[in-house]
Amino acid sequence: MKLRHVAVAFALSAFLISGTAWAQSDCKTLVQASPFGPDDEVGATNRITPAVTKAAAAEIQTGVSIPLAYNLVDGVPLFGTRFTKTMLTTASLVPGAEYGKNKLTYMEDTYLSQSHVGTHIDGMGHIGIKDCYYNQTPMGKYVTQNYLKKLGIENMKSFATRGVIIDAVQVFKDAGKLKKNAACKGDCIDGGTVITEDDLQAGLKMYNVTLREGDAVFIHTGWGDLFRQFPAQNAVYNGSEPGLSKSAGAWLAAQKVVLVAVDNFAVEVIPSEDKDEAFPVHVILLPNNGIHIIENARTDLIAAEAASSKRATFFLSMTVPKAVGLTGTFVNLEAIR
Amino acid sequence: MLLGATMATLAIPRSRAASSRPFRIAFANADETPGVHLEGLGFTGYDVRRGFELAARTLPVEMIYLDNGGDADRAMANAEEAVRQKTDLLIEFNPETRVNPEIARTLKGAGIPVIAIGYKVGDAPVYAADNQEAGAIAGEALGDFARQAWPDQAVIAAIVGDTGDPGDAVAARLQGIVQGLHRSHPDLIPAMLDTGGQPSRAEALVSRLLTAQPGRKLLIAALEDPTALAAKIGVELTRRLNDAAIVSQGLDRSVHGGASERKEIDPTNRGSLLLGSVAYFMDRYGYDVLPIALRMLQGLTVPARTVTSHILVSARNVFMEYPPYDMN
Repeated sequence: MKLRHVAVAFALSAFLISGTAWAQSDCKTLVQASPFGPDDEVGATNRITPAVTKAAAAEIQTGVSIPLAYNLVDGVPLFGTRFTKTMLTTASLVPGAEYGKNKLTYMEDTYLSQSHVGTHIDGMGHIGIKDCYYNQTPMGKYVTQNYLKKLGIENMKSFATRGVIIDAVQVFKDAGKLKKNAACKGDCIDGGTVITEDDLQAGLKMYNVTLREGDAVFIHTGWGDLFRQFPAQNAVYNGSEPGLSKSAGAWLAAQKVVLVAVDNFAVEVIPSEDKDEAFPVHVILLPNNGIHIIENARTDLIAAEAASSKRATFFLSMTVPKAVGLTGTFVNLEAIR
Repeated sequence: MLLGATMATLAIPRSRAASSRPFRIAFANADETPGVHLEGLGFTGYDVRRGFELAARTLPVEMIYLDNGGDADRAMANAEEAVRQKTDLLIEFNPETRVNPEIARTLKGAGIPVIAIGYKVGDAPVYAADNQEAGAIAGEALGDFARQAWPDQAVIAAIVGDTGDPGDAVAARLQGIVQGLHRSHPDLIPAMLDTGGQPSRAEALVSRLLTAQPGRKLLIAALEDPTALAAKIGVELTRRLNDAAIVSQGLDRSVHGGASERKEIDPTNRGSLLLGSVAYFMDRYGYDVLPIALRMLQGLTVPARTVTSHILVSARNVFMEYPPYDMN
């Protein structure tokens, strides 16, 4: 048998095996059931009720908006072969190509981009265990070449809720355990550093805040300092990161928050606490608890604002495009004070 | 391993826990000079040190990192530094073995226990790669492949790499490869293709061998991953893709990557003639060695010799062993 034939046979058998595995996974043993019912595709934004939004509106005291996202532009840190490009259509600017007596011209863009780039949100279709995703959904049945037939981001509800910033950098400084990365221009927690639930609670206590159901939690690690230096420190930024421990992720889930946003690329500590696990905090938050993740969030400005005003809460402004069947998308979000 | 670490943490004597002082452990690394590879593999001193840094994160230890720089005198000075800093334990990784007896005496005199990595330091417990077993895994994998893919065809074999390396590690690896091959092909005597430590030379050596052996199938055991990649190019240049298979040693970052950063050993590249690489996990030594250190510091018995659990990593299991962290 020729090697190529053996290779094809291996690949084919692997395909068949994985196909069988999809059909056979018992998602009830691999992923937790949703608290929002067996048919739910929404996830934690179910918690943002009119009452939650109304209560959050009380956070708007000055009306000042503070950016929580970065510009999506060539050169920002992207992993491996990920890419984001736009192409500008300018055809009507050519003399003689204008429209009508009033010489109207137009321009528009084509996005040629992956969705998980820049400041972006992870949807329920992003992470699973085997083929089991949020709400014990056997996703093998619901994937097509182009999009998801379940758990797409179009299912998300409103994010009009209270945001809370936790300044982990200040927590680490106060505890005398801040170990900086030399590439950071300002204060940052070094890559690989574990942020625990004790650290999160210390950060909340710093501003006398208690998390409540439906909150959106933002965590400032300082790692975004490297993002802002793009492209100079992209390799350092992507090489590791400070982030949540598994137990911290579980603690946040227990607080029934709706999203966790961090100024790093994966929210959780990288490399993981257990070298044999892949993104365990992602698993806790997304498939097991329906809690969204925002990566590459900009947290330095709101952390500074909280420090100066001694107030860590704000009204979160973010909407997500109703693009059907996506696993995530780049977003813009703001803290309204 | 994590369970072991947790148990060690829980079992800390009450007096130590009450003082809440972490154990001070010094790690004297073999050589952290950039570009210098260790143990005839593709790993650097930085890889080994980083493994200790990561493993130490959740353990009650305060690490002191020292670099022997591949120099015996510096290793001796580092051992004295470990004594001066009143460390609780020294982890010594020193291939410059002539000073290891003196290091053992110095540490014993100071009452500081030692764990040796790879090379004996007095009677200290040793943690080491099992080079012979790793070699045997590669040899056996090649033999099994040949039996399945080329059951009725003439097969030859070659070991390519720094085969003239006088170190015990490479010698044991060579012996293991031959043993592994003989499990399915008892009469096969592999040719030695000596790169002299320059992986790129494997390309020409393999090309030449294949050209001289038309109509035969070639099993290639590479002594480390960069050599395996060069050997693969040699096969490609002679257009003999159907006539060769390679298994490598090490599983360093040159052959495996992530979800986006694709390398030769990748779940989407199952047809590669580089069938796999035997993992040495040098970037994870810390996860094995620090739990041993904690057991020693608690007065528990540890084995005189602990070896790495080597496995063959291929496209089928690479992400299980090294979960990609670039797919967030």
